[in-house]
Amino acid sequence: MSVSPFRTGAREGFYAFLPFSVGLIPWAMVTGMAMISTGFTPTQAMGMNLIVFAGTAQLGTLPLIGAGAPLWLIVVTALALNLRFIIFSAAIAQGFRGVGAPLRWYCGHLLTDGVFACCLEKMLKVEDPRWRLGYYLAPSLWSWALWQAFALIGVFAAGSIPKHWSLEFMASIALLVLLVPLAKQRPMLVAALTSGATAVLLRGMPLRLGLIVAIVVGIVAGFAAEHWQGKGEGA
Amino acid sequence: MSGDALLWLSFVLIGLATTLPRASFIVLGGRVRLPSVVQRALRYAPAAALAAIVAPDVLVVGGDFMPLNPRLAGVIAAVAAALLWRNPWLPFIAGMVVLLGLKRLLGA
Repeated sequence: MSVSPFRTGAREGFYAFLPFSVGLIPWAMVTGMAMISTGFTPTQAMGMNLIVFAGTAQLGTLPLIGAGAPLWLIVVTALALNLRFIIFSAAIAQGFRGVGAPLRWYCGHLLTDGVFACCLEKMLKVEDPRWRLGYYLAPSLWSWALWQAFALIGVFAAGSIPKHWSLEFMASIALLVLLVPLAKQRPMLVAALTSGATAVLLRGMPLRLGLIVAIVVGIVAGFAAEHWQGKGEGA
Repeated sequence: MSGDALLWLSFVLIGLATTLPRASFIVLGGRVRLPSVVQRALRYAPAAALAAIVAPDVLVVGGDFMPLNPRLAGVIAAVAAALLWRNPWLPFIAGMVVLLGLKRLLGA
């Protein structure tokens, strides 16, 4: 009797991703603590963690929720933070040929930056859909479990830390540390600097509309910088 | 609507704003293609959004532009740690130590 292709794929995917998964632990804990310092109860915090399952979108919307920003602005900001997933989703889509629609929805829900980066290559190469499904699901479910477990630890740790320790600052650090690898590309840095400066300049706009304007201005600036950079290189 | 219901509604909507982009092309399969100009422009959205959220948090104190404050120092320490070392905990430790140390020094 042969071992099922799903299992072989799952084992390989799990071990390929295992070393990277350690990086999720501080993020999950910081997110757990940040939700509590925003004023959520532990139930609300874990509710958000289970429903959203996305560190960047959670950390990015917390300051808006905390400031009482209107719902549509919170949702638009979450969308802006998640637009990269449309590109990831398009890139990895071929890896799910031969997989049924309900499973595709579930796999989509579980898509994270780490698993995408780690699994993309083999997802596109291997023929057997059962192998691919295992190869994708094992690291994804492992990420999910780690994320929930360590967010829960963060939620309970936050409750026993005094207020003047300014734990909410961890969310600002987290967002900036996410920005660091992106900003190593020049046009991306231009997008970030322009958007940040615009957000500071327009901070007085009602309904925190300055945030949306800043994001749009940042995207345009990055795109323009890419264009000029291409010209400078004679490409 | 009560504050609690509004909060849960916002979780569900943020969840949709996450799962729909993630599942989009995985569910559609190879049938639909994204124009390459759109793909290239979308790449800048996360960096722009992250910066737009963080910059006012770090550079504005009580509504005024005040770049020289403990939060900016903490953030610089955190970014330096992220650039210099691979350890994922260090930026948080460096940033918090600098923030809390400066706050104590300034007696705030």
